[in-house]
Amino acid sequence: MSYASSFHERPPTPPVPAFAPDRQEELPGALPLYSFSTPAMGTEFTLHLYSSSQDKARSIAGAAFEEVHRIENLLSHYRPGSELSRINREAFDHPVTTDPETFQFLDYAFAWSARSEGAFDITVGKLMKAWGFFGDTGRVPTPQELSSIRSQVGWRNVCLDPDRRTVRFLVPGIELDPGGIGKGYAVDRVVRVLQDEPVPASLISAGSSTLYAIGSPPGEVGWKVRVPVPGKPGHILSTVLLRDTSLSTANYTEKRFLDRGHLYGSIMSTETLLPIESVLQVTAVAPSATDSDALSNVLFALPTHARASLLDSLPAVSALVLTPEQETAQPEAVRWPAPIAKEDCECSTMMEED
Amino acid sequence: MMNRRSLLQGLSLSILSATMGVSPRHGEAEDAPEVGDQPVTSADRLRIAVIGPGSRGKELIRQFLRVPGVEVVAVADVYELRFLQVNELVGKAVPAYKDYRQMLERRDIDAVVVASPPLFHAQHVIDSIQSGRPVYGEKTMGFTEEDNYNIVNAVTQSGQIYQVGHQNRYAPWFQEAIRRIHEGEIGEPTHVYAYWFRRDNWRRNVPDPNLEHLINWRLYRESSGGLLEELGSHQIDVANWIFGEQPQTVLGSTSIVLYNDGRTVGDNVQAILGYSKGRRMIFSSLTDNAFMGDQLWVYGTNGSVQLTVEDATFYGSIHHTITGSDHTDAVRRGVKTGASYNYAADDEMPYRGPGKRIDARKAEDPTLTACRSFVHCVRTKTQPVADVRVGFGSAMACTTGKNAVFEGSMKNVPQWKPPAA
Repeated sequence: MSYASSFHERPPTPPVPAFAPDRQEELPGALPLYSFSTPAMGTEFTLHLYSSSQDKARSIAGAAFEEVHRIENLLSHYRPGSELSRINREAFDHPVTTDPETFQFLDYAFAWSARSEGAFDITVGKLMKAWGFFGDTGRVPTPQELSSIRSQVGWRNVCLDPDRRTVRFLVPGIELDPGGIGKGYAVDRVVRVLQDEPVPASLISAGSSTLYAIGSPPGEVGWKVRVPVPGKPGHILSTVLLRDTSLSTANYTEKRFLDRGHLYGSIMSTETLLPIESVLQVTAVAPSATDSDALSNVLFALPTHARASLLDSLPAVSALVLTPEQETAQPEAVRWPAPIAKEDCECSTMMEED
Repeated sequence: MMNRRSLLQGLSLSILSATMGVSPRHGEAEDAPEVGDQPVTSADRLRIAVIGPGSRGKELIRQFLRVPGVEVVAVADVYELRFLQVNELVGKAVPAYKDYRQMLERRDIDAVVVASPPLFHAQHVIDSIQSGRPVYGEKTMGFTEEDNYNIVNAVTQSGQIYQVGHQNRYAPWFQEAIRRIHEGEIGEPTHVYAYWFRRDNWRRNVPDPNLEHLINWRLYRESSGGLLEELGSHQIDVANWIFGEQPQTVLGSTSIVLYNDGRTVGDNVQAILGYSKGRRMIFSSLTDNAFMGDQLWVYGTNGSVQLTVEDATFYGSIHHTITGSDHTDAVRRGVKTGASYNYAADDEMPYRGPGKRIDARKAEDPTLTACRSFVHCVRTKTQPVADVRVGFGSAMACTTGKNAVFEGSMKNVPQWKPPAA
C-alpha cells in the first residue's frame, strides 16, 4: 500500500497490544526493590522492580534487557546488521521482504505520519545526518546541503505492501531513522516481557524520555515521575503519578548543540528541514509507550491548532506542552493528571545554553 | 572491500547428487548465483515447520520470514506458551503440535527447522530427514558422540540437505578474514584465543517450579553442555575453519563463583583444544564480567587478527624481525646521524595501536544470510557451506569437551570417519 492516500481516517493501532494488568494481588510492601540498567539505543535503559529475591529479579531483568537488545538489533540505524539498516540499504534497489514485526512497526510509524500530515516522519535519516545528529555533536548544514537532501525526506516516498510484506523506497537516498518512536516500542516490548513474568510493580525507563509504570510502589498510588522545567536544572513543573501507563517527553534541549550563540535542537521540521523552535518541551501520557513516544514528537512538531485538534481526538492521552511564549504563562495542559507549578514556568529561550 | 558475490559466498557449493557423500567444504562459490530480494513466484514458495520455537527458534522464524517466499506453516513444542508467541510473531494462527511426529505427518512442509535443546537434536533432525525434508538444525549438532555419528549417517545415507546453525560461516567479514589468514597474511596461524564474557546469570524466570528443568535446561548437565556447548561451539567452529581440521584433544575446567543457585553446569568455563602441529585454541567464558564480550583473536607467526560479531581487524607483527636483506649500503654509503627521540613502549607492553579493519558496513545479519542460503540450497538442491561435516567438527569437540570440563580432565576427541554405507 502506498501511504500517499487513504490513511487519514485510519487511527494508528499500536504494534504491541495494550498492557492488560493481570497481576496477582501480591502486595509488594514486603518485597525489596531492585534496580538494573543497560546501555542500549544510544541511551541507558533502567528497570526498577519489586521482587521476592535478587536471583528472580536478576532473571527478570535479564529477560527484559535481552528484549531491549533484540529491538536495538532490529531497529538500530547505527548497526549495519540490523533489519532497519538492511531496509535502508536495499529498499530503493528492490522491494525488501521483512518480518511481520518490522513491517508492523513501520506501518505504525507511517500511520502517525499520515495522521500528522507528515509532521512526524521517520524518513529523516539524511536530515539528521546533515545536522550532525548521527553519532556526532551537531553542525549547521549549508542551504545547499539541505536543498540536496530535500527529495530524500518524505514519508510518502515509502511504499509498504502488506500482502508481500515488503518495503520499497520510491526515490533514492531515503533513510529511516526511528529515533522518534523506537525507544517507546522497545519499552512496550519490555512491558510485554514483564507482563509474562509477571511482576507486581515495576518502572522501565528508556533514558528517562519514555517510561512505563506497572503497578505502583507499596503505599503509593503510582510511580512518581517529575517533569522538569527545561533549561532550569532542579525546577520541577509537575509530578505525575504513573500506574499501568506510559509517559514520554520530547525536549528541545535533550539533544542539541550551540553554534554562534544559537541553540539547535534535534526535532526537525520536515517542511523547513530546520529544527523546530516553536516548542520547548512536550510530555505525553498514553496507554502505550510506542504511542506516548510518537505522540510527544508529533505534538512537538504540530502547529498549535493542529495539536489541540489531535488531542481532542485522543481522549486516552494527556499532554503538557511548553512553548517559548509561555515563559510567564501557563503551559498548554490537556487532561493533565497532576498539579502544575506556575511559578516555575519561566522557560529558557533558544539563545541560552543550560 | 568485498563484492556482493563474496558476501553471498557459500550459497551453493555443489549440485546434490544421488550419491552425495559429505563432500569437501570451505570452498569459494564462484558460480553462486547472486540472489537477493527478487520477486518470487508461487513456485518459489517454501513452507517451513519449526521444532522448538523457543528464544532461538523464534529468532530463526523472524529471519526466515525475511526471505521472500518463505512461510511458517507449523510449529511443535512441548511448552504450549510458545504457540501464542509464535502466532504473535508470525501474525496469524500457526498450526501447533505438542508432538513433533504428528507435525511431520503434514504434507505441506518443504523443510524443517530444528531449534530444540541439543539433547533432542539427533531425534528431531533424524526424524525430520527421514520424513524426506531438508533440515536447518541449530547448533550444537548432537548432544552425544553417538548422536553426532547418527546424524552424519542419516544425512549422508538420505542425500538430504542439512545445514547447521553456525552462522559465522556466512558472515562476510569472517569469510574475508579467514581467506586472508589462509593466504598467509599473518604467517602460520598457531593459536586462537576465544572469549565469550557476559554479565548474566543465564537463568530464566520460571512461573512454576515444575518447569525449572524445561525452561532452564541450559543449567543442568543432563540437558546441557554448559557454556562450552552453548557459546563455545560457535567459536570452536571458527577455530576448526581456520585450522582446517577438528581438534584432537580437549582439556577442561569449570567452577561456580557467583551463581550458586542449584545449577550443575559452571558459571565460568575454560578449555584448551589441541590441534595438529601443536596448534591450540583457548576458550574462556565468564558470566560475571562482560568486559571481553564475544571475540576471537587469531595469533599467527607474523601477525594477529581480532574477529568480533561486527568486524575483523588485522594487526601486523609487533616485533621487528631481522630480515637478512642486503645491508651493504650501511658500509658503502655510511649511516646517518641525528636526534633519536622516538618513544617506544616497552616491548613487553601490549600493542595498543590501530589495526586494519575489514569494512563490513554493508553486511546483513549473518543469521539472515545463513537462512537465505538454506532456502537457496533447498530450492536449487545444492549443499550448504555449514554442512554436516562442519556441524560434526564443533559438536564432537563439545560432546567430548563438556565431559573434560566437568571432570577437569583431558580427553581425546573422536574424529570424523567415513559415514556408514
